[in-house]
Amino acid sequence: MSNLVYLMCSLPSLRFGQEPPISMDEFIDEAKGQLSAKHFKKLEPVDIFKATDSDGKVGLKSIGNMLGDLQEDISEIRAAKAQKRTPNLARLPQATINTNPLEREKLIMRWQWEELDTIQAGEGFTLTEVLVYKLRLQILNRLSSFNKEHGLQVLESVVNPSKEKEV
Amino acid sequence: MAVVKIKYTKTERARQKKILKVSLRMLPLFEAMEKSLMSTINTIAERIEEIRAVIEKNNKAAEPWVAVMSDSHVDIKTYISVNKIITKHADVAGVRVEQYEGVDFNVMPIPENAPLWVDDAIILMQEQLQLMAEIECLEEQIHLLEEELLDVRARIKLFENRRIPNAKTAIRKIGQKLQDDERLTIATAKVVKTSQKEGVMA
Repeated sequence: MSNLVYLMCSLPSLRFGQEPPISMDEFIDEAKGQLSAKHFKKLEPVDIFKATDSDGKVGLKSIGNMLGDLQEDISEIRAAKAQKRTPNLARLPQATINTNPLEREKLIMRWQWEELDTIQAGEGFTLTEVLVYKLRLQILNRLSSFNKEHGLQVLESVVNPSKEKEV
Repeated sequence: MAVVKIKYTKTERARQKKILKVSLRMLPLFEAMEKSLMSTINTIAERIEEIRAVIEKNNKAAEPWVAVMSDSHVDIKTYISVNKIITKHADVAGVRVEQYEGVDFNVMPIPENAPLWVDDAIILMQEQLQLMAEIECLEEQIHLLEEELLDVRARIKLFENRRIPNAKTAIRKIGQKLQDDERLTIATAKVVKTSQKEGVMA
């Protein structure tokens, strides 16, 4: 418990939309040094992009549920698009339907962030808070990777590879 | 430049007249071909500009969300690539060219857990790649048509500056020479006739 408290107190606080104040490697190093082997083993497979790990296990049921619900809504949006109908979303806000792909991803990440708020409510200085911290750090890392210049380069590299080589 | 030796014979004059007749008949055909090639090249160039405008329009439409393509979680390049550009043979202004038909893509199935923007990016990339492929085919057509145009212009120049003037000159010179020869023959015959008459009188 004291290690968890120490770890959480030593980590910088996270706000949605900010540049990640700590890298994932730094966080993992810090967690490895402070957490017990059992707790660290639980932290390792937790991933914002996967509801379950490679063995099909869920790091934390509430996180697994949240990611599972998101997956279902994403599948529903895809199916609705293919069938040319309005998607019937269970969890995601309706605003995600009629916005551009970048804003949609941001809305989804904002939704995940708020869901994580609910998950960690009343779980101060517990392993849940550490797991949520990792997921939030992943969200911030992904959010900060969105860059117009770089995005244009990626588009150009697919659409006009010869031009990219010339440059 | 080597001077062409003219044979001052009636046969040669007939041959030169035939060359002139054919050349005068061919010249307008080549001139029409030149016009047709130029007009086709211009039409293709205009089409290229139209396609470029569509590409630009698509890029502008994607500008507000293109940043998402740098998503650290996704490598969009692995999802789509061009297998081959499909074309068919066609005759454009008498030149055999490859006409754009479509693009055969290698599109990887989108995994369920892939972010939604991947779908939009693939649609955009497919459209842009198709337009780029069409431009590529049209530029190749222009290249072939320009080669043909150079050839046609060289022929026009040859007819206008060499074959037609040379044939006209040859016909004129042969005509003069044949006329001179005829006069000489008549004069010689007259001289012979006069000397024969004088011989009889003496």
